[in-house]
Amino acid sequence: MQNHAPEMSLAIAKFVRVLRLSGVRVSVAETMDAYRALAWIDLLDRRQVKAALQALLIKNPHERPVFDRAFDLFFLPGEAKEELFARWRRQKEAEEQKLRAAGQELAQLFQPWQGYIPEKYRLTRENLQTFTRLPAREQKRLKELIAQMRGNPVNNPGELVARVVQAALNYWRYYLLKREAEEKEVPSPEDLFPVSADFYRDPGEQILYADLQNIQDEQLPKMTALIRRLSARLAGRLSRRYRQSRRSLAIDFRRTIRQNVRYGGTPLELRYRGRRPKRPRLILICDVSASMARYSRFVLQFIYGLNSAGQKVESYIFSEDLERVTPYFERRRDFAATMTDLMNESRQWGQTTNFYLALETFRREYKKLIAPDAVFIIVSDTRTVCWEQAAGLLGEMARKVRDVIWLNPVPAAGWPGLPAAAAFRKCAQMYECYSLYHLEKIFQKKIPG
Amino acid sequence: MLDLSIPELHKALEREGYICDLEQAVTIYLALKLGKPLLVEGAPGVGKTEVGKVLSRVLQTELIRLQCYEGLDENKALYEWNYQRQLLKIQVLKETGCAAGDETSLFGPEYLLERPLLKAIRADRRVVLLIDECDKVDEPFEAFLFELLSDFQVSIPELGTLTARQVPVVVLTSNGERELSDGLRRRCVYLYLDYPGVEKEVRILQARVPEAGEKLIRQIALVSGYLRSQADLKKRPSIAESLDWARALVALNAHCLTEENLHFTLNMLLKNQDDQDLVRSKIGLAALLNSCQKNETGPQAADRQEACRAAYGCRHA
Repeated sequence: MQNHAPEMSLAIAKFVRVLRLSGVRVSVAETMDAYRALAWIDLLDRRQVKAALQALLIKNPHERPVFDRAFDLFFLPGEAKEELFARWRRQKEAEEQKLRAAGQELAQLFQPWQGYIPEKYRLTRENLQTFTRLPAREQKRLKELIAQMRGNPVNNPGELVARVVQAALNYWRYYLLKREAEEKEVPSPEDLFPVSADFYRDPGEQILYADLQNIQDEQLPKMTALIRRLSARLAGRLSRRYRQSRRSLAIDFRRTIRQNVRYGGTPLELRYRGRRPKRPRLILICDVSASMARYSRFVLQFIYGLNSAGQKVESYIFSEDLERVTPYFERRRDFAATMTDLMNESRQWGQTTNFYLALETFRREYKKLIAPDAVFIIVSDTRTVCWEQAAGLLGEMARKVRDVIWLNPVPAAGWPGLPAAAAFRKCAQMYECYSLYHLEKIFQKKIPG
Repeated sequence: MLDLSIPELHKALEREGYICDLEQAVTIYLALKLGKPLLVEGAPGVGKTEVGKVLSRVLQTELIRLQCYEGLDENKALYEWNYQRQLLKIQVLKETGCAAGDETSLFGPEYLLERPLLKAIRADRRVVLLIDECDKVDEPFEAFLFELLSDFQVSIPELGTLTARQVPVVVLTSNGERELSDGLRRRCVYLYLDYPGVEKEVRILQARVPEAGEKLIRQIALVSGYLRSQADLKKRPSIAESLDWARALVALNAHCLTEENLHFTLNMLLKNQDDQDLVRSKIGLAALLNSCQKNETGPQAADRQEACRAAYGCRHA
């Protein structure tokens, strides 16, 4: 192997870092392979370099668009790179300026109560950032709110105002976070662009990664086809791996004969076929309250797909209380009809959420299912009344079952703002799950066999 | 035999009838040079298995194929003792009253049934080992497989450790039905085969079914490309299917697509009744024919790429 210049190894290391920041898993061994591969190709041919790096660093089809983008941005001619950095610096500066202006503006509004606001309610940099990103209308509304409070003679209004403003900003931050990926797209020179993986995917594939909340009606047929494909594939995998062998207790002739060759072929020591691992019992508890209805539609469609492909999932929906919906899936009708039946006959659709009551009902009426072979899949955004009791009850149940998996449509970055999420995470494995991609990955990797 | 350069390999592959672009040639070349297994993934019928076959032709060496299926185990993949023969031997020894010392001879090479993996390891020349549809095996076997692929040696208790005389060229293919383990992926050079664009498909058809003629070939490529862009289809037509279709049309003496021969041969392209119904009722054969004749320069694929580029460009501008 020929020796490359040290810049080459540095460039490869940096590029791998960019890939990792973009969510591609690259091991050290693979990096070394890529480095070795460069010795065999024509380094002056960009297409060859790209093909070589791709072959050794990217091992999944869905990571390829991310790679393409990262490669095109990383291996730029000098001037283009300079220009990109300049643009990035300009944008950073503009942002800083905006922040400073917003800081001053808000400080002026808070002026009258300057001394009365406790440290913990002072606006943080994060709050200010959120403020600058708000639509102008919202900014104005907030400022007016603060101004109105000026004439308010309540005791120490400063603290109250600061708390209200902070709460409003936290609320907004959570919603803005979701759109974050689409907004920040000029890269930082340091790690040369943490490219958001969702962003650079082929538009044809985009739907797999799209937030289920934003699926438009005209995309539904496409979505349905995709769900059918995914769930059939998953069910196929499950049945292949976990089907109970009919011969599970039969003698394994080959191994028996082999064992007994030493006795002249007389079968003295018998060998049996091993028992196949038993398939877990999947129990889905799906939140269909107002805030969750749209997600749940797709989750149920996914489960419907699994059911019709032969993978049985015991399914329940809840909002104010719990209802069993497995029979709907067993009627073998198409999904639209199943859903219509379900929505017409169920009293839960679009209500408020009481997870505690739902769990209580489950424990009372389906006690038998709380067994060591059960895997609970809970789909909910954790916004429920009585969450403390619910967490306690769930913890109790979790000890008796094999696993509790929580699919949360709120992106993980938003969890710190949800106290209930923290409580539920103590007794359940919680995964963010707002796109079909998440759903498929979790079923593939996390739902045990 | 690996003295080829990248362009030479590319040419050799095409000469053997495997039309590929430079990226694929580089990937295959690196797998050969780095001595690593080549993992080929893609939808069914895009030519994954063909990579292994064509490599054996290019390298002028034997192709050893291991077809994977559910329940495949070491006995079927690696080696097995010929029990029947061993038992016969025991009987013969009993009859002739030979000494017990001959027991070791029961485990001689003549009683060993070589299965593809062992055959590849013991081969005198560097062979091509094609492990087809490796996503179909169970996880434990997959683990065994990548252990074997990392050091190319096998321990047989009765014979000792056998090390490969020549490290074989390994090609693994997968339909992606089951996610392969990260360990296996890490050890491989990765090649993803996508459905080809119209131009590439034209070249493939020209190489494989030259008797179809220029016009028919282009039409076939356009129709297949168009149908692949339809997300509603349960099974998109693959290259293998468009090749079959071309052969079928040639057999019918067709020189260009008409509504009639499209009607009779659609089942060569779409192997699913629902898909056929969908195309017949929703798109309509006449419309399908028209859309392809109008847009001779590569309809959906190129458009999609263009839209894709525009979207990325705008966001970054």
